[in-house]
Amino acid sequence: MAESIKHFINFAANPKVLFPCLLILTLFMFPGNDKLLAINKRLGLYKLWTKKGGIFLFSFMLLFFIFGLTDPNFRLIVTKPDNVPIVALLFLVNFFLWLSMKQAWENDARIAKGQPPQEAEDAKEKILVWPDLVYIEFIALILCSALLLAWACALPAPLEEPANPSVSPNPSKAPWYFLGLQEMLVYFDPWLAGVVFPTIIMLGFMCIPFLDNNKKGCGYYTFNERKMAISIFMFLWLVLWIFLMTTGTFLRGPNWNFFGPFEYWDIHKLEALTNINLSEYIYMILLKQPVPENILLREIWGFLALGLYFGLTPILLALTFLKNVFKQLGVLRYSIFTFLLLCALSLPIKMFLRWAFNIKYIVAIPEFFFNI
Amino acid sequence: MGKDERHYNINNLNILFACASLILLSALGWLFVKDYSRPWKKHQQDFRALEVEQTRVKLDSSSSALASNPEYQALQEELTKAREAYNAQCRQNEALQKEIKSLQAHDDSLQQQYRFTKSEFDAARYRLEIAKEHPGAAAYLVKAQKEYADVESKLHKLLVDTQSSADTLKAKNDVNAQCGAQLAELERKERELARQKNFLSRKLENIDPGEMTFVNQMANLIRDLPIIDLANPNNKIKQVVLKDIREDVNFLEVPKVDRCITCHLGIDNPDYANMPQPFRTHPNLELYLGKESTHPLEEFGCTVCHGGRGRGTDFTTAAHTPSSEEQAQEWEKKYRWQEMRLWEEPMLPLAQTEAGCFKCHAGQSTIKGADKLNLGLELIEKAGCYGCHFIEKYKDWPQPGPDLTKIAAKVSKEWAYQWIENPKAFRPDTRMPSFYHLSNNSDPESMIRGEQEIHAIVHYLFQHSEEFPMEKIPSTGDAHRGQDIVESVGCFACHQVGSNPQEGKTTADSLRREHGPNLIGLGRKTTKEWIYHWVKNPPRYHPATRMPNLRLTDQEAADVVEYLASQQTPEFDQQAIPALDPQVVDRITLEFLKKSLSNKAAGEKLAAMTLDEKLLFSGEKLIGSYGCYGCHTIAGFEEMKKPGTELTEEGSKALHNLDFGFVHIDHTKPAWFAQKLHDPRSFDKDKVKIWEEKLKMPNFYFSEQEIDAMTTALLGFVEAKGIQDKIVPRTPENLYIEEGQKIIRQLNCQSCHMIEGEGGTIQESVKQWLIKHDGKSADEAAAIVLSFSPPNLVGEGKKVQPQWLFDFLHQPTTIRPWLKVRMPTYTFNADHLNSLLQYFNALDKEPFPFTDNVDVNLTQEEYLAAEKLFSDEYFDCAKCHIVGDKMPGGSPENWAPNFALAKTRLKPGWILEWMKNPAALLPGTKMPTYFDPENYHESGPPDILNGDEDTQIRVLRNYLNTIAPLTTSQETKKNPEVKEAPETLVAPAVSK
Repeated sequence: MAESIKHFINFAANPKVLFPCLLILTLFMFPGNDKLLAINKRLGLYKLWTKKGGIFLFSFMLLFFIFGLTDPNFRLIVTKPDNVPIVALLFLVNFFLWLSMKQAWENDARIAKGQPPQEAEDAKEKILVWPDLVYIEFIALILCSALLLAWACALPAPLEEPANPSVSPNPSKAPWYFLGLQEMLVYFDPWLAGVVFPTIIMLGFMCIPFLDNNKKGCGYYTFNERKMAISIFMFLWLVLWIFLMTTGTFLRGPNWNFFGPFEYWDIHKLEALTNINLSEYIYMILLKQPVPENILLREIWGFLALGLYFGLTPILLALTFLKNVFKQLGVLRYSIFTFLLLCALSLPIKMFLRWAFNIKYIVAIPEFFFNI
Repeated sequence: MGKDERHYNINNLNILFACASLILLSALGWLFVKDYSRPWKKHQQDFRALEVEQTRVKLDSSSSALASNPEYQALQEELTKAREAYNAQCRQNEALQKEIKSLQAHDDSLQQQYRFTKSEFDAARYRLEIAKEHPGAAAYLVKAQKEYADVESKLHKLLVDTQSSADTLKAKNDVNAQCGAQLAELERKERELARQKNFLSRKLENIDPGEMTFVNQMANLIRDLPIIDLANPNNKIKQVVLKDIREDVNFLEVPKVDRCITCHLGIDNPDYANMPQPFRTHPNLELYLGKESTHPLEEFGCTVCHGGRGRGTDFTTAAHTPSSEEQAQEWEKKYRWQEMRLWEEPMLPLAQTEAGCFKCHAGQSTIKGADKLNLGLELIEKAGCYGCHFIEKYKDWPQPGPDLTKIAAKVSKEWAYQWIENPKAFRPDTRMPSFYHLSNNSDPESMIRGEQEIHAIVHYLFQHSEEFPMEKIPSTGDAHRGQDIVESVGCFACHQVGSNPQEGKTTADSLRREHGPNLIGLGRKTTKEWIYHWVKNPPRYHPATRMPNLRLTDQEAADVVEYLASQQTPEFDQQAIPALDPQVVDRITLEFLKKSLSNKAAGEKLAAMTLDEKLLFSGEKLIGSYGCYGCHTIAGFEEMKKPGTELTEEGSKALHNLDFGFVHIDHTKPAWFAQKLHDPRSFDKDKVKIWEEKLKMPNFYFSEQEIDAMTTALLGFVEAKGIQDKIVPRTPENLYIEEGQKIIRQLNCQSCHMIEGEGGTIQESVKQWLIKHDGKSADEAAAIVLSFSPPNLVGEGKKVQPQWLFDFLHQPTTIRPWLKVRMPTYTFNADHLNSLLQYFNALDKEPFPFTDNVDVNLTQEEYLAAEKLFSDEYFDCAKCHIVGDKMPGGSPENWAPNFALAKTRLKPGWILEWMKNPAALLPGTKMPTYFDPENYHESGPPDILNGDEDTQIRVLRNYLNTIAPLTTSQETKKNPEVKEAPETLVAPAVSK
């Protein structure tokens, strides 16, 4: 029984399975528009954001960990001193997610009844900065320092033996906060995953105040009034950041192969990895003819696909799903918004292409080190 | 701000604040404790307690020894008396003491005044010089002159006063000292006697808190407190910095630093031999660590030999290596030990520590003291690992296996098939490894394939075999006589006949005995003609053979052939040879064809080939794949690269480069090497491989003991990084010695001769001969065996003239005609001969190639004296020594070499030393000692040459050099005697 559960979890933890599931779950858990919201309500998913839902969520997570710790492989990975913070992170992220969503749904219910949000009630109470606030902040500071010191003593930093250039650790992992980026390297060329995307993320952050002009939800938690913003944020935060980081920490083993949480990290594990470029796919498999010599001719399909993706999709979206958004934002801001959104979506799309068609690059010009 | 406006209860917050602060404080305390408590500090404290205890015990024994020493007791009595006398006579003179004190005070103050004035004087002198230099200011000059004169006179007066004061003081002091002189002398004597005790008690005062003064006790407590311990703590990291051993820390080389002695505190102190680790003394202080040893701690440290991480100061970071899985588990529990995965040179396991010797001593054949490593190296030589694996040390060694280019003349196809299929079945102790019936080719399909592979290989070998014309054996031999010859002339130095009686441990001796193949079943293997031509002239069949020529006569050779050909192996004959299967041969051939051709082309080519061609083609490919040419000379493979991995730096190989496959053994290098040697193909276990991918290393069926030794050697094959200054110095002498040792090892000289204190393996078979043929009892044989064995070559460089040695090695002549064992003729080239000459001379630190002049000058009187000494009146030299053609009387075990050889053979200086004290040059020699080394100047006969021993020896030497020196014509005349001698040698055997 336990073994078959482990097998199932190992199978389900594979990004090929887990990632699409998570993507769909996020779509319905944090519905971005009214139609999705209706489905959410019909399925009763919102019930997770209640006390009972919280108890269910955390009992489930705890049970999973308790069950998992009986397995030596799981124990080995989870209790490694440098992985402990990530375990804590899983619980903390879920806790605060649940807390904020619970308050948001409660407020939504109040607003629907015509009442002000809970925070308006709280605002009637008064706390003095001095001494109350400063004092408790100071106490919190002391306790945090004590916690950090005790942690440092109990689980010493894993400073290993002196580095040896001829024997590098396998797997070589980036610090936990970079593991999302390292995971992207599996699907994108370094210049994209390591340079362009981080830059776009920074610029995207800067753009948020200009793109999100919804004035509702200031000073209180609400979901209903900011559905789309929250939905997009959760996709970026949970799926593209927390999930990739967790995968990188717990599920990537020697040779960056994927290993289920209950799987032994076998250094000799081999996976079939023969990938081809879009040009080869189109010319050799679909058109059954040799790949052209001319670089431009060869890669024309890739460029075309990219052109359509970044050029045509925004227009189509403006006419359909994002009609209102286009109206609200105007051409320039709408273009920036959709560009950023499409960039973010390119990762799941690339993953899908890789898994389904073994696509390595959409555009592959190794002659100029230009691969997308 | 009203009280009601407060959100929190301030008292509760205060309590919370207090609690939080206490928690922070305790966390901080934890941090301090954790940072302060290091495992090595505990060791140092424990060691100190141990040291105090040891010192106390020693102090007690030293005090009691002193107390029972009569000399000391007498001294004590005397001392008491002297003290009383001193008190009585000198102490009373208090007035004098007082006067001395006041004089001393006066003197001190004068001294001080003098120093002040002297500095004033110097300053005044400087000012005067400056004033003279600037003639403008005349007034200034006058003033300076006056000042200078004043100070000078003052200084002068003070000088006079000081001197007179010192004189007075000295006079008074002398009076006082005279009074106490005797006491002072006695006290000095007491200190001398009690030096050991005083040293120990002083040491105890330093280390034992109980013996310390109060102030020192306080200091002792405070020294090791946190933060204060930065100054001069008791517990501190101790280290050796080795400037000439460099450590590579990536892009930078730094001196090696070993901190092992931080915990291994008693390592160079013989007092801790029985203490528990980590304090135990090194087991061999004579060779290592001691100041007088060849590897002092300050110059070699620890990790250069043992491996491990010298800078590590706890159990794990020092990269300790457990000897077994159990020990690893024990360490994990006890010391929280973990493997240092990234450290390239982990400590060598205890059983393989000797591996550390190799990197500096790689050139030597025998590393004194490293028995296991030596055995491993010898096994590598004997098994011929270097045939397939390039190893720097063995780069120019001859191929280990026989030449196969004329194989058809030697063995039959059937025999060759059976031999390849299972060499051990024919000769159980052969060094030829097995390629078949191994763990990765024993499945039915591989077995069928294997049979046909052997057919192909045999076919190739015989097709490429050259002509080897053999004449008929000129005479018929006698097997019985042949056996006597084989047992006596020295075949048993390298060969054995019959099943191997030696069981169990492999030793240097047993390896020397098995230098050549066991001659079991030779009659089944080859023809009489081949054996005859082989023993008569081995290089004719195998030009690079190490088998020497024993100069057998035709008749002797025929006898030997008859005997050896009678060796049969009936069981071996019964094995049936499977028939040739063209289908399987096709499959094998096709597989090889496909490697260079497309499937279709390969198929076409195969169809066009005859069975012969197929066998020839696949035979060649198979020999190439299995690497037969690594050990054997095979036509068509002369230029091939060695088939195996290079092993020169195998011990430095990173663990992850060793494929453990699915074999569940410890993930360590020694375990992998041992497994590889135990079953070379085992790493294919459970692997799905096609034939081409399979492991090809054959199995030598080494014993566990052999594997252990070879693993040690392999671990020693490391990259010599940063130790250039520690390698055995590359002086010409050392290089000569290493070159000579190599030849000696290759030709198995030590099987007959004792060289560098090792060898003489053949004595056992000589003993057997004496028992069997001369009817001696075992004890008698053991007593005289040395007389009938090849000579001990200790001091050979000092003893013989280089020219003679050169000639002798090139063309041996008989020196000891009573020996049945013969010095064989080797096919040495001039390089070999020179190397051996240089070797023997370098070993004895003799200048080479210089020799003394042979001195034959004698006056009439000296000549007569020498004759007398030589005669039976005195030394009776001819009683044992052969003189020209004249043989001595008595039994041959007492005979000694011919004096006629002395002039050309022996170095004149050596003869003098030899006569003076033969036992010193050759321990255990039969030569009597005529001159007592203890009482040399009275040992010679007093009535000859005024009893001057040096002259007696000199004239005797010069006399010997005049005895019937063989002229060239005589030599050529005598040369046949060399050939004849063996006949007389076997004569007794024939008569029996």
